[in-house]
Amino acid sequence: MTKKDKKSFQQSLAEWKLFLYNPTTGAFLGRTAKSWGLILLFYLVFYGFLAALFTFTMWVMLQTLNDEVPKYRDQISSPGLTVFPKPVTALEYSFSVSKRESYEGYIEDLKKFLKPYTAEAQKNLRNCQDGALFEQKGPVYEACQFPLALLEACSGESDPEFGYSKGHPCILVKMNRIIGLKPQGKPAIECTGNSKGENTTTLPVYPSEGNIDLKYFPYYGKKLHASYLQPLVAVQFNYTASSTPKEVTVECKIVGSKNLKNYDDRDKFLGRVAFKITMRA
Amino acid sequence: MGQKTPQIYSVELNGAKDMKQTDKGDDKDKYRGLWSTCLELRKNHHKEHVTKEIDLDDHKLSNKELENKYHTNIVTGLSSTQAAELLARDGPNALSPPQETPEIIKFLKQMVGGFSILLWVGAILCWIAYGIQFSNDKSSSLDNVYLGTVLALVVILTGIFAYYQEAKSTNIMASFSKMIPQQALVIRDSEKKIIPAEQLVVGDIVEIKGGDQIPADIRLLFAQGCKVDNSSLTGESEPQPRSCEFTHDNPLETKNIGFYSTTCLEGTATGMVINTGDRTIIGHIASLASGVGNEKTPIATEIEHFVHIVAGVAISIGVLFFIIAVSMKYRVLDSIIFLIGIIVANVPEGLLATVTVTLSLTAKRMAKKNCLVKNLEAVETLGSTSIICSDKTGTLTQNRMTVAHLWFDNQIFMADTSEDHFKQTFDQSSGTWASLSKIITLCNRAEFRPGQERVPIMKRVVVGDASETALLKFSEVVLGDVMEIRKRNHKVAEIPFNSTNKFQLSIHKTDDPTDKRFLMVMKGAPEKILEKCSTIMVNGQEQPLDQSTAEAFYTAYMELGGLGERVLGFCHLYLSADEFPETYSFDVDAMNFPMSNLCFVGLLSMIDPPRSTVPDAITKCRSAGIKVIMVTGDHPITAKAIAKSVGIISANSETVEDIAKRLNIAVEQVNKQDAKAVVVTGMELKDMSEDQLDEVLTSYPEIVFARTSPQQKLIIVEGCQRQDAVVAVTGDGVNDSPALKKADIGIAMGIAGSDAAKNAADMVLLDDNFASIVTGVEEGRLIFDNLKKTIAYTLTKNIAELCPFLIYIIVGVPLPLGTITILFIDLGTDIVPSIALAYEKAESDIMNRKPRHKKKDRLVNKPLAVYSYLHIGLMQSLGAFLVYFTVYAQEGFRPSTLINLRVEWEKDFVNNLEDSYGQEWTRYQRKYLEWTGYTAFFIGIMIQQIADLIIRKTRKNSIFQQGLFRNKVIWVGIASQIIIALILSYGLGSITALNFTMLRPQYWFVAVPHAFLIWVYDEVRKLFIRLYPGSWWDKNMYY
Repeated sequence: MTKKDKKSFQQSLAEWKLFLYNPTTGAFLGRTAKSWGLILLFYLVFYGFLAALFTFTMWVMLQTLNDEVPKYRDQISSPGLTVFPKPVTALEYSFSVSKRESYEGYIEDLKKFLKPYTAEAQKNLRNCQDGALFEQKGPVYEACQFPLALLEACSGESDPEFGYSKGHPCILVKMNRIIGLKPQGKPAIECTGNSKGENTTTLPVYPSEGNIDLKYFPYYGKKLHASYLQPLVAVQFNYTASSTPKEVTVECKIVGSKNLKNYDDRDKFLGRVAFKITMRA
Repeated sequence: MGQKTPQIYSVELNGAKDMKQTDKGDDKDKYRGLWSTCLELRKNHHKEHVTKEIDLDDHKLSNKELENKYHTNIVTGLSSTQAAELLARDGPNALSPPQETPEIIKFLKQMVGGFSILLWVGAILCWIAYGIQFSNDKSSSLDNVYLGTVLALVVILTGIFAYYQEAKSTNIMASFSKMIPQQALVIRDSEKKIIPAEQLVVGDIVEIKGGDQIPADIRLLFAQGCKVDNSSLTGESEPQPRSCEFTHDNPLETKNIGFYSTTCLEGTATGMVINTGDRTIIGHIASLASGVGNEKTPIATEIEHFVHIVAGVAISIGVLFFIIAVSMKYRVLDSIIFLIGIIVANVPEGLLATVTVTLSLTAKRMAKKNCLVKNLEAVETLGSTSIICSDKTGTLTQNRMTVAHLWFDNQIFMADTSEDHFKQTFDQSSGTWASLSKIITLCNRAEFRPGQERVPIMKRVVVGDASETALLKFSEVVLGDVMEIRKRNHKVAEIPFNSTNKFQLSIHKTDDPTDKRFLMVMKGAPEKILEKCSTIMVNGQEQPLDQSTAEAFYTAYMELGGLGERVLGFCHLYLSADEFPETYSFDVDAMNFPMSNLCFVGLLSMIDPPRSTVPDAITKCRSAGIKVIMVTGDHPITAKAIAKSVGIISANSETVEDIAKRLNIAVEQVNKQDAKAVVVTGMELKDMSEDQLDEVLTSYPEIVFARTSPQQKLIIVEGCQRQDAVVAVTGDGVNDSPALKKADIGIAMGIAGSDAAKNAADMVLLDDNFASIVTGVEEGRLIFDNLKKTIAYTLTKNIAELCPFLIYIIVGVPLPLGTITILFIDLGTDIVPSIALAYEKAESDIMNRKPRHKKKDRLVNKPLAVYSYLHIGLMQSLGAFLVYFTVYAQEGFRPSTLINLRVEWEKDFVNNLEDSYGQEWTRYQRKYLEWTGYTAFFIGIMIQQIADLIIRKTRKNSIFQQGLFRNKVIWVGIASQIIIALILSYGLGSITALNFTMLRPQYWFVAVPHAFLIWVYDEVRKLFIRLYPGSWWDKNMYY
């Protein structure tokens, strides 16, 4: 490039100044006031039109939706399992039996979670017949009671500390809600514990055998089935606390139902859940 | 030139003197430029050689002095040992080949252009982003690594492709340069030996004969009828006589020096080698070319400008959203990732490949039309060319002497000078013609090489000089078998041409058995011939040559000479049978036959005629707003005549000198404004300052530069470039190579061109036809328009790809479009359609508009960017978002739920995220839905890109004017888009790494109304542009 092509700093500064405001044409940032007015007006109209158009098409799209049931449920054909207390960062529970503050958060969380399950809260719910699907035709959809007593030692009634202070902590397992899901057979939650260097053992679950009663199905959705209570299963940790930290990996999965999958290559929470408990004395 | 230029220019058959007269004054200056440049060059490049003077005085030395100087002997030559020593000292007698760029450098160069840099920066940013993510979270997604790798791969693959393309055209070139090892006949150890010319050394005595290439710069010691073709050195198409006399101070002008690489046309000569290899004149010129920098191609400048725009947009959006993200309480590290993400999302990954493929498609198309493009980017350069500096000889002309006019019976007849069909239509019934044709046929020593009966007459090889060749071919065409005629008219005596006589004469027995008279025929310089005549033949009858006929002769002579033609006079005499009986013995030395009172028959003029396709091509250039300037080393009069006949100087425009002549006033009195044309000689050019040259270049639309040196060609090209013009230079000789290199696009002749010219050029005309340039211009302009369309098409979806990310940051919806999915648009569905736009036909007659202004008509201008980004791009985003929201809503997540869901949505241990209906989703179920969202967004963009593709077919015309189906490739593009999308969604739906899922068929149609809207909107835009040209709308909306 020749020297001529390289502008001096002053030249380019002058050019910038001229671009910012050109006194001869009255142009500001390369456009005159009139030109700016026109262009702004154009974009106002144009974008106004686009916004209106988008709103309209979205509105039309929303009209195709049903308030009660989503149009498609193909992507959640089988429920996942989740556990409580709600894990904070990962699926790991770590506490010390002797230090209350180390598990206080878990207890609080469980209590909060079980609030809808108190007798008081459930008193308007229906006492349904065990062992059969509770299909309803509406227009009013009722929910079945889930007596906390079913959770026995983990109900929080006999032991408000859910076994944490005794070294036998409770973890609640539940199946994700899916509208219209009708489990076949006799679904139950089965949990196994695996500690390093020890044999895999089956952990005690409540209700007995981890049964999930069919009467809680199907679910009719948030709007129709507002008072719905999910069936729960509690798993209790039955290792004894010792001076060395006890690390146990617990795996729970749904069994006994053909249409509830408990294994998927990619989805580690489809019909199963694994978590770790680290307990110190 | 002024007064030194005679009014007519004619060269006798073997004339020697008047040539010198014509340009005595300016020749010294003509080459001065060259020499001084050589010196300068040496100063610049080899400082150690500054003191070493170029040896200029060999032509002044006597043979004895030469022998002493070079320690040689004219008779015995060098001894072998001497020669070997000298060879070891000076190196072989060959031009050192131009420094070849190593292949690996050529290859790497392909990967560092403006565009490639953008992609490299993108790739590196991606890897940095991954580095940040990885140091934060060991399990972070590898998307950024993939993206970076793909970007790098795109650059490398495109680089390989471009390299391959250019290598291919280089190979075609290589096949053109037939390297026949040259031999030289040298006297060494008192013996004549044939050795390879490479082994010649200074002091060698060489012998050359007609047809040989002169093997080195030689000082002639002996010459007989020797003529050389210096056209590759000086551009003169006339054969230059050589002798052993010192005739001129200037070594380039003196007759006793022959130059390396020029050809000896006829005669024989012996000379002493005075310079070899790179030290020869041609070697100096060749090195001049390597000292000239290559200009950046206009398209490279445009792409750089485009990269600036893209980078500017990317960085401003990136920084803006970085600030927004930080103020939204995102972690700074995350914000940096966003910043990088936004910048990378702006990189048009596919465009580099598309542009390269598009250019090479055009290059291929041009190669079919005989324009071989050496440098892909040069494809477009021709389209933006505003000035063509064309060489005369060989480019505009056929580079062979041809009979152009005849004068007899007081009338000028025109001969057909076109290349192939040689049908003479002038009146051949006159008795004068019968006599004239006989003289032409008989007074001629040229012969066809035997064995060429099947070759068209004009292509046959002839032994003889250019003028005689022209006459031979002319008479063969008109009369038929010339050899047979000559056989029937047996030659009894002959005086060949010599420079004192200035005529050629032969005496024949006639083929008329009843006529026992001898026929004497003669041709030569017209005035010399006329002197010898006392009668003139009119309509077959001899008439006394009176004052009026003599005047008629001079008028005709002047007229033909004024056309820049070489004029010959013809006369004959029937020797009376009484005085010269059949047995009479003619003695050419004693001249025992009459040499006066002959009968003048006619004149015949020859010129190196323009190629028949050239005038049309010049007209086309002119209507395309391209100025064609002739730059030649030839004489001003010839140059002007050719310029006039091809239309470089149009029929009704005059030079200052013309006006002066017409009004009969002095040149100084003429108002320069009236003259449209100008002929500038090298001598005038030498005295001009830069400003004066600029003034000439701007004020005259029609310019001819004559008698220019290679250095002056450079000055002219630079002058044109100062006017912000894109300059094309055509040429074939070594003398053109510096200018070819300096030009924005150098065009070399494929057949006649020297290797040096081809090396310096960017483009090679395989058929040497100037008209091919016009094709090239057309293709170049079309590709510029179509690249605009391609870029507009590609930029549009960039916004549709960027918006999801922005919305994801600001509104917190699950990511609507993933990185890998974007890659599948940019490098998948969009590739074929954007290439298809290269096949689009021109919207209007592109050859009827002005060439684009280098600095004003940009490839990517503001309206293009604004319209693509803020109009169509935004509409496209809205359409794609509609598909996205539809998919989520119908699966259970209403738009209202989605807002600010991002954090929860992306937590790996949240496996019970509630949707709008109370259902709970595991992380993987959400992920799968997210991929469905990607697919939906992808399909949304793809469907609207079809509309985008269709609207980009035209910039101004309605699609219906352009025709929906004229460009079939567009439909191939659309089909490819749909098929790739179908395969991705349904064929590879289960490959999770690609993040595609099976999409319900109805979602494919959600964006269709938006696609139609885009089409309608663009039709409205074009309609207003057509209705209100020059309006506010036109200025803001036409790209």
